[in-house]
Amino acid sequence: MSRINDVGGMVGFPPIVEEPDEPRFHADWEAHVVALNGALLRRGVYNLDEFRDAIERIPPGEYLAASYYEKWFRAITTLLAEKGVARPEELAGD
Amino acid sequence: MSGNHASSPVAAQVRHVEALLEERGLLDPHEIDERIDALAAGGTPANGAALVARAWVDPAFRERLLADGNAAIAELGFSMGGALQEQKLTVMANDADEHHVVVCTLCSCYPIALLGPSPGWYKSEAYRSRVVREPRAVLREFGLELPASTRITVWDASAESRYLVLPRRPEDTEGRSEEELAGLVTRKGLIGTAAV
Amino acid sequence: MTDRFAPGDRVRTRIADPTHHTRLPRYARGARGEVVSTAGHHPLADERARGLASDPRAVYHVRFAASDLFGAGDHAVVVELWEDYLEPDGSPS
Repeated sequence: MSRINDVGGMVGFPPIVEEPDEPRFHADWEAHVVALNGALLRRGVYNLDEFRDAIERIPPGEYLAASYYEKWFRAITTLLAEKGVARPEELAGD
Repeated sequence: MSGNHASSPVAAQVRHVEALLEERGLLDPHEIDERIDALAAGGTPANGAALVARAWVDPAFRERLLADGNAAIAELGFSMGGALQEQKLTVMANDADEHHVVVCTLCSCYPIALLGPSPGWYKSEAYRSRVVREPRAVLREFGLELPASTRITVWDASAESRYLVLPRRPEDTEGRSEEELAGLVTRKGLIGTAAV
Repeated sequence: MTDRFAPGDRVRTRIADPTHHTRLPRYARGARGEVVSTAGHHPLADERARGLASDPRAVYHVRFAASDLFGAGDHAVVVELWEDYLEPDGSPS
């Protein structure tokens, strides 16, 4: 039942790619996601282990396809819905 | 993955969720902007480089850094307290016999409070999966060829500690100032994927 | 509560493969290693992730030979593990 995040020792991943002159964030929204997560953790809306758990529960195909901060944002909205802060359709803006 | 992406769908979703949380009293106005400013003013690899340079010129500081990282970095005004609670810092010194390299196979644990955000490759599945299993091959891809006689120890940041590698001081650097020495130290050296 | 292990102790990691969040990586399950040091006391991540109350307990740096994890390799891997993941390794390895 190991989750998709548990990749240590797996074979088949490609060579490691370094990005020259990598910026801290590739877009403003990534910094917003980090700040948002920090604010919600600080308020105790969820804890860091619940946050990691929510990332790990992303279905494997989507986990591997998503960028790092896309995974974070998805975990944040998952937890906001599960904690009853807002309904999924409200979070999606529908 | 470049450019501002201000108009990307996810950027709009993030703005929407922020507005919703403000409406529900779970975010204060300006809180996000203040946090972003704090992130920008937070740790950078220069902090790690300063610690390494001090350890190279001051053997007593080196001993303190290896014995109790949190107490030693406070001497230079640094702390591991950027997160909700202070994290334990463990520093491992490279020498001719042993080379250390750090990973978080389960997610992306990294001494952010000290060094700032980790590089993209550190968070990649490729690095996380491979370095625990074939570190010598991974280090070679980074351009670091270690003698066969140098043992490699991989540190998996799987719980609450955060790790920093103390690289070996390069030869022919006698007489260099602490500041000049700090300029030699790279982020990869602090993670263990480069010699310095 | 006293720590169950001390530096130098031989330990074996649990084999159980939980469905919930855990911080014992798959590659280090059911493996024999040696406690290097104690790394403080913390509530168990598995419990915190499920919203359960959790008392701090000892966390250790445990060193494994790569050959004991992967059947090959001349390096070592140090994993930081809660004592819940460990049992004494009394049997000869």
